[in-house]
Amino acid sequence: MERIAPSTPEQMAEALAAFAAAGKTIHVGGAFSKLRQGGGHAPAAVTVSTSALTRVLQYEPKDLTVSVESGLPWATFTRLLAANGQMVPLDPPFASQATVGGAVVSNLCGPRRRWFGSARDLVIGMQYATLEGKRVQSGGMVVKNVAGLDTGKLLIGSLGTLAVVLSINFKLAPAPPCTRTFLFHFTALPAAIQKRNSILQEVLQPWSIDLLNPHASGRIDEEGWVLAVQAGGSQRLVERYELELAGTRVLADEAEQRFWERIREFIPEFLREKPDGYVVRISTPIEALGDAAASAPVPFLARAGNGVAYALFTDADGAANWLKSAAGRGWRGVIEFAGADGAGPDEAWPNPGPELEVMRKVKQLYDSRNLLNRGRLYGRI
Amino acid sequence: MVPAAAREELERLLGARNYLDRAEDLVLYEYDGGVDKHRPEMVVFPRSTEDVVAIVKITGKHGVPIVGRGAGTGLSGGAIPRAGGITVSFSRMNQILEIDLANERAVVQPGVVNLDITLAVQGDKYFYAPDPSSQRACTIGGNVSENAGGPHTLAYGVTTNHVLGLELVLMDGTVVNTGGMAQDVPGYDLTGLFTGSEGTMAFVTKVIVRLMRQPESVKTLLAIYDAASDCGQTVAEITARAITPVAVEMLDGVMLRMVEEATHAGFPMDAEAVLLIELEGLIEQVEEQVEQIRDVCAACNAREFRVAKSAEERDLLWKGRKNAFGAVGRVSPFYYVQDGVVPRTQIAPTLEFIRGVSAKYGLSISNIFHAGDGNLHPIILFDARKPGDTDRAKAAGDEILNFCISVGGSITGEHGVGMEKMELMGNLFSSDSLDMIQGFKNLFDPECRLNPGKVLPTGRGCMEIRQRPDFVL
Ligand SMILES: Cc1cc2nc3c(=O)[nH]c(=O)nc-3n(C[C@H](O)[C@H](O)[C@H](O)COP(=O)(O)OP(=O)(O)OC[C@H]3O[C@@H](n4cnc5c(N)ncnc54)[C@H](O)[C@@H]3O)c2cc1C
Repeated sequence: MERIAPSTPEQMAEALAAFAAAGKTIHVGGAFSKLRQGGGHAPAAVTVSTSALTRVLQYEPKDLTVSVESGLPWATFTRLLAANGQMVPLDPPFASQATVGGAVVSNLCGPRRRWFGSARDLVIGMQYATLEGKRVQSGGMVVKNVAGLDTGKLLIGSLGTLAVVLSINFKLAPAPPCTRTFLFHFTALPAAIQKRNSILQEVLQPWSIDLLNPHASGRIDEEGWVLAVQAGGSQRLVERYELELAGTRVLADEAEQRFWERIREFIPEFLREKPDGYVVRISTPIEALGDAAASAPVPFLARAGNGVAYALFTDADGAANWLKSAAGRGWRGVIEFAGADGAGPDEAWPNPGPELEVMRKVKQLYDSRNLLNRGRLYGRI
Repeated sequence: MVPAAAREELERLLGARNYLDRAEDLVLYEYDGGVDKHRPEMVVFPRSTEDVVAIVKITGKHGVPIVGRGAGTGLSGGAIPRAGGITVSFSRMNQILEIDLANERAVVQPGVVNLDITLAVQGDKYFYAPDPSSQRACTIGGNVSENAGGPHTLAYGVTTNHVLGLELVLMDGTVVNTGGMAQDVPGYDLTGLFTGSEGTMAFVTKVIVRLMRQPESVKTLLAIYDAASDCGQTVAEITARAITPVAVEMLDGVMLRMVEEATHAGFPMDAEAVLLIELEGLIEQVEEQVEQIRDVCAACNAREFRVAKSAEERDLLWKGRKNAFGAVGRVSPFYYVQDGVVPRTQIAPTLEFIRGVSAKYGLSISNIFHAGDGNLHPIILFDARKPGDTDRAKAAGDEILNFCISVGGSITGEHGVGMEKMELMGNLFSSDSLDMIQGFKNLFDPECRLNPGKVLPTGRGCMEIRQRPDFVL
């Protein structure tokens, strides 16, 4: 199988056009750390990697913006920002292997989503190459910009099914001097949900509010139902949080970092351990998250302030059945990661609704012959 | 011309009270907040999504162009028809359908006025964050179409960051729901694609917005300067010291005087510039940042630094800011509001450039803008009754926007391209990028009858051949 990694955006666009003209199916990726995501991928004639697109195109810390090529390793990227006291608070899983482009295109956001949003809120511009060999720009290098259509939004979460991202521009946040994490342990779910509700309804503005069920907390050496709340800011601000959130345990410094790293790598670790493991992702209204948590018979990790949750299954049927019952209750979800061969159960995305027809039209516009990452987007596109 | 058969069908559908077609009524719909004017041949007022679907189908059958309209406060000619046809006004679809505080959501019809959402939930200590200065009038449908911003979007983001789902009526009459009450729903982010599409791809008939909890503490600061460059320096320094205000608005001397005369908000009459800064969050954070900003302002030669002492004083300062365009209107009957954006470090050179343009064209240009995010609103005063003045104002505006592009910025931060800036799109985007936008336009509006002749440069927007001869642009 042919495998290429073009080192300039021009070459990438040309290569795509040439493959498309020859009708070749293309498997595109960055570091290919998430092969089991999104319905897996059908075998393709060629593999195209962005891994040689690694330049930092523009970084002026005083503008609070940065533009980098998509193949830049996420770890290198965050180190660069940290050296300037700045951050893109996305916390993607697989952070040590992932590329910037892969993190954005797979749209797996992490704990700090509660306060900072997801990739769609932090990306201010994007350039991508289409199968026609065009290089399309959406947005730019300023934090506010409504010129032209925001087609970059479509690429976020597209799992490589529309076009190949060449470079991404982000807005940056200053990294605060202090952070603190407050762990609350409960023997039963209702108390955990009540605590979450009181935090949401109060004036506090925590970055993260994650919920783990006992199966999940056991995997990271905790016990029972755990609500993990992180806040950041000045010393004085953090002291205020300490006052308000006297939890069961307070984490700072290295212990805090280690804790969140384990949360971030919660899914990757499970997948490494279980080649036949399945991860279901569901989205619920915030209020319904408790019901979702109660119904999960397996490790369950949730962004409890957003209503996005992951449940980890060791078999396909368990995952499919739980997802089906979740969908039956009106929640939206997918089998996000499947067994090692990437093949998922048929219904990896139940009840997509009429919106899917519009998505298919979009796919047609970019890739009418379904050459790019065939099978991805949960087998529905 | 709208065929008589189409008129009759629409009248039958909507009833006599839900459309207008007399010349004296239509004049109200020939303009928006921008400078261009074009009159529709008929204005219809749907009351439901079903009405909108029927309007789309009837006008489709007769090949009549249609354009959506919210409150008509847009500043780029988005809501005015290019070539006659029918205006679809959403002013009677103005219900807040659902408020769900536990889930931090509201579901609203497109004609709901922006501020009314906040008014509906503020008693429970929630708010809707995007706050365009026009928020007392503009509608959510218009906000979604333009991806509107406002002073507080510096911290909270623009409309697209607060819209979770849309109900859309496509040009074949299908109704589609994108996104939803929950976040991160699977599939392509169609909500994100349609937000900011300037009413050129579909009608928005329902919007799910995110509500936020009110902050514990708010402080509004006013810093007064004898030199505009010191003001610009302050903005840069606030960023450099990682201070995170929720709004940083700048008014220059010309603007200040007009605003003060109109509103008596307490702005100094003799200063060269002021910064209006707002801090929000927990009490500790706000108190700390007030002191940090006081230091920055002193270091940057601010002549005076005030902290608003009461809610009344705060409201008055903001009223001055938000009514600025009205204040301009008292002084000059005609003005042209620009909306360029530059990287924050380029604010000072851009202001300098604008001064040069003002001198070159002999036109007074005042500045009021969202300094925190580099979104400039130079306001060019002119007199349309003087021959050549309008053209000079437009030429001056183009020169400023081309400068914004040259320093890595954009031609519009929140007002949209519309018909006003479409010819500049080719200076900002490559033909590959414009092709993509055109591809989407053709995909969702293949007959090119929804708000034709906007956003893309002439010759690109619509396939001219497909356009019916009586509606040619
Ligand atoms: C004094 C003043 C201050 C302003 N300040 C700001 C500011 O701070 N920030 C900012 O972003 N803007 C500002 N604006 C611009 C304007 O208010 C915004 O663009 C606003 O979003 C327009 O809303 P509207 O309801 O008036 O829409 P309109 O002007 O009626 O329409 C705008 C566009 O939306 C389309 N549209 C409207 N409703 C629908 C619908 N339901 N479906 C599909 N398309 C639709 C129209 O076709 C048009 O293209 C200001 C304007 C004024 C006059």
